[in-house]
Amino acid sequence: MEQWLQQLQKWIHEVEEWVHQQPVEQLSAAFAVLIITFALFGFFRILRRSKSNTIVLAGLTGSGKTVLYYQLRDGSPHQGTVTSMEPNDDTFVLHSELEKKGKLNPVHSVDVPGHSRLRPKLDEFLPHAAGVIFVVDSLDFLPNCRAAAEYLYDILTKAIVVKRRIPILILCNKADKVTAHSKEFIRKQLEKEIDKLRTSRSAISTADLTSEFTLGVPGETFAFSHCLNKVSVAEASGLTGEISQVEQFIRELVKP
Amino acid sequence: MLEQLLIFTRGGLILWELGKALKGSPIDSLIRSCLLEERSADAAFHYDAPAGGAAYTLKWAFDNDLGLVFVAVYQRILHLLYVDDLLAAARREFSRIYDPKRTSYDDFDEIFRQLQKEAEARAEEMRKSKQAGRAPAVAPGKKQAPGSTVRGSGKQRSGSSGGSGKDDSDGDSGKGRSLANGSLNGQENGNKENSRAPNALIKGKENGAPEVGAFDVNKLHKLRSKGGKKTDNGVGGSVGGSVGGGKAAKAGPKKIVKKNRVWDDSPSESKLDFTDPSGERGEGPTEVVAADQGESMMDKEEIVSSDSEDEEDEEVEHEKPGTKKKGWFSSMIQSISGNAVLEKSDLQPALKALKDRLMTKNVAEEIAEKLCESVATSLEGKKLGSFTRVSSTVQTAMEEALLRILTPKRSIDILRDVHAAKEQGRPYVVVFVGVNGVGKSTNLAKVAYWLLQHQINVMLAACDTFRSGAVEQLRTHARRLQIPIFEKGYEKDPAIVAKEAILEAKRNNSDVVLVDTAGRMQDNEPLMRALSKLINLNNPDLVLFVGEALVGNDAVDQLTKFDQKLADLSAVPNARLIDGILLTKFDTIDDKVGAALSMVYVSGAPVMFVGCGQSYTDLKKLNVKSIVKTLLK
Repeated sequence: MEQWLQQLQKWIHEVEEWVHQQPVEQLSAAFAVLIITFALFGFFRILRRSKSNTIVLAGLTGSGKTVLYYQLRDGSPHQGTVTSMEPNDDTFVLHSELEKKGKLNPVHSVDVPGHSRLRPKLDEFLPHAAGVIFVVDSLDFLPNCRAAAEYLYDILTKAIVVKRRIPILILCNKADKVTAHSKEFIRKQLEKEIDKLRTSRSAISTADLTSEFTLGVPGETFAFSHCLNKVSVAEASGLTGEISQVEQFIRELVKP
Repeated sequence: MLEQLLIFTRGGLILWELGKALKGSPIDSLIRSCLLEERSADAAFHYDAPAGGAAYTLKWAFDNDLGLVFVAVYQRILHLLYVDDLLAAARREFSRIYDPKRTSYDDFDEIFRQLQKEAEARAEEMRKSKQAGRAPAVAPGKKQAPGSTVRGSGKQRSGSSGGSGKDDSDGDSGKGRSLANGSLNGQENGNKENSRAPNALIKGKENGAPEVGAFDVNKLHKLRSKGGKKTDNGVGGSVGGSVGGGKAAKAGPKKIVKKNRVWDDSPSESKLDFTDPSGERGEGPTEVVAADQGESMMDKEEIVSSDSEDEEDEEVEHEKPGTKKKGWFSSMIQSISGNAVLEKSDLQPALKALKDRLMTKNVAEEIAEKLCESVATSLEGKKLGSFTRVSSTVQTAMEEALLRILTPKRSIDILRDVHAAKEQGRPYVVVFVGVNGVGKSTNLAKVAYWLLQHQINVMLAACDTFRSGAVEQLRTHARRLQIPIFEKGYEKDPAIVAKEAILEAKRNNSDVVLVDTAGRMQDNEPLMRALSKLINLNNPDLVLFVGEALVGNDAVDQLTKFDQKLADLSAVPNARLIDGILLTKFDTIDDKVGAALSMVYVSGAPVMFVGCGQSYTDLKKLNVKSIVKTLLK
């Protein structure tokens, strides 16, 4: 130990002497360059972190994400959609806001395919997400309830979502149909399913690489209010254009 | 006539549509079961609308540069020859007027109608020219007509319709067509029927030709089934004979009792038969300590080492100098500027290298071929990004494709399913099927051990009533794990044993019933029928196919035959097929993990468990990312 300390002191001494020997201008120039690079580095890092104004549309296949995406962008779903094979990614001003005067803030939104084989694509977009809209088919809800709850559970337990407290909007799509379920019913069903999932998933959580956090308060039945990030429920209809609640959510997140 | 022609983006928006609405949802099912399953190199897709709808055939073309898909739908009974031409022409014209910002293309209607007329006219011309060429060859054709009908109808069974309208100058096709009647209608029918035959003949003859492309897996297994049917009569007969012979030996009176030979050194063994567990051994079930070997590896997190992928520079050297049309310098410039459009000839060397690499990793040959074709289809016509080589683009595309195939398309959370079944008040039934010697009983015990660790009541059902020692084997496992076992000895009908086992499980409140079946070869018709009967009678929740990781090309055959037999021999229209795969003997292969890919690709079922050893804890989950990395290393 003593020897190391002595060596260290000798080195420090040598460095000091060397520094004193250099001309002052060189030293100051080198110092300035160092400071500038660090400043730029830090600046870019901060810029990148705050650049999370992406809205991610996720949900099971067939729930209406692509229709919703085009409603937001163009105001109409055009001639219809088929199962997406790739994500739809674009930055645009919301269609309903085009008529507004004043500064228009473009929104970067991504529509991730819902097919289970394309699930990994969601992980590419979540790091930049400012908010997630989880689209649920309220017409055909009960047969897909388990799959929807599993997907939602996966999203809620991802590390990024928990750490950044990304707000999630559960959107009950196709609400214009007569036999569509109400958002309260869907919320309760999802809470029940996620509660069951908690017990079965936490049993194998050490092997399940995606679920890195456990949800809710252990011992109590799960409710969305237990989540650290804000989870809200809303109704919409992609085909008819009733998407006011969605737009409100987006406007809150993407501040002008 | 075409029912519908659709143009849509890969992101899902329909850009242009012609035709009336279709019954069912053929486009969605095309995307889900074909394009996303990396079968985009197939010639056509057949769709049967549910509930008595029409039967459609779908053909498609990609424009990879713009990210568009062109799909044509028509009735299956029609054999339109001009569809491929039409799709190619439509793709050409549409890519001219395509604009990413535009979403409605009504002006394309006119262009398309013209294209359709041209394509139909071309098809008519070709047909007429073939008819004219046929006329002098009628006389010798009559003798060989019956022969060619047999061939024609035999080949008609094999898979996809050609529909390319290639002008083949074989005399055979002429002979085939001479069957048509004199009347015009008859001729048209004959043409339509036989237009399939020559195209199928082309496929048969040009197996090696690069234009035909992938070896048709459908054709492969249909051919094998034809050969198989001849052999399995013999096999079934011999199995039946041996069982019958065994019975006769037992029934016949013992005339001479063999005396044990006593050697000088060894002590006399009074007891040689150890099949009776209780009584003489003195070990009751309560004395055996329950096997507790710690946490099953299913519950342990697998640490994936993140070593950086090294670029494979060797593929560039594989390019033959003859195929290089552009010089080295210009290709360098193009790869930097990023404007090179990928042609099939560019992709071939990289794809061949990838295919060879996959095959050295024990992926079945036809699967590797199909995968490479599918990746080629998805990359053709795409513009290279700047600073990327062809090989790296192909590598990334192949990696994505492999990830997509191996990602399960439905949840493999068995515990959740077990809980759901428990709520409904019935036991969750799992049936283990597979060929001989893959490790069904061993892995059944491992799964039971894992389930026990999660506080689930398990019961074993010994439905392997054929192999000697099978029931004892399960009995030993049940004793070590301290779980109930339902057995009826040997020579009983496995379907009945399984049924009674499930009833017993319901009575004693077991959550899960694990049913062990006898190993059987996929060609053995009577045994496959017995298996089908077991599955249909008991309607299990999970049919788990147990396959070993050592198998190579045979995996494809095993799974297709199992699925096919289960589908054919069931009475209900929606037959139960293989729901999941259990991959065994994973510890015996170092990095030759290709069997997993072959099995998943062929059956579409996810790999639910991986057996990697012979003790109770050696059961893992499949780590998709590490398998993909190993396959492409």
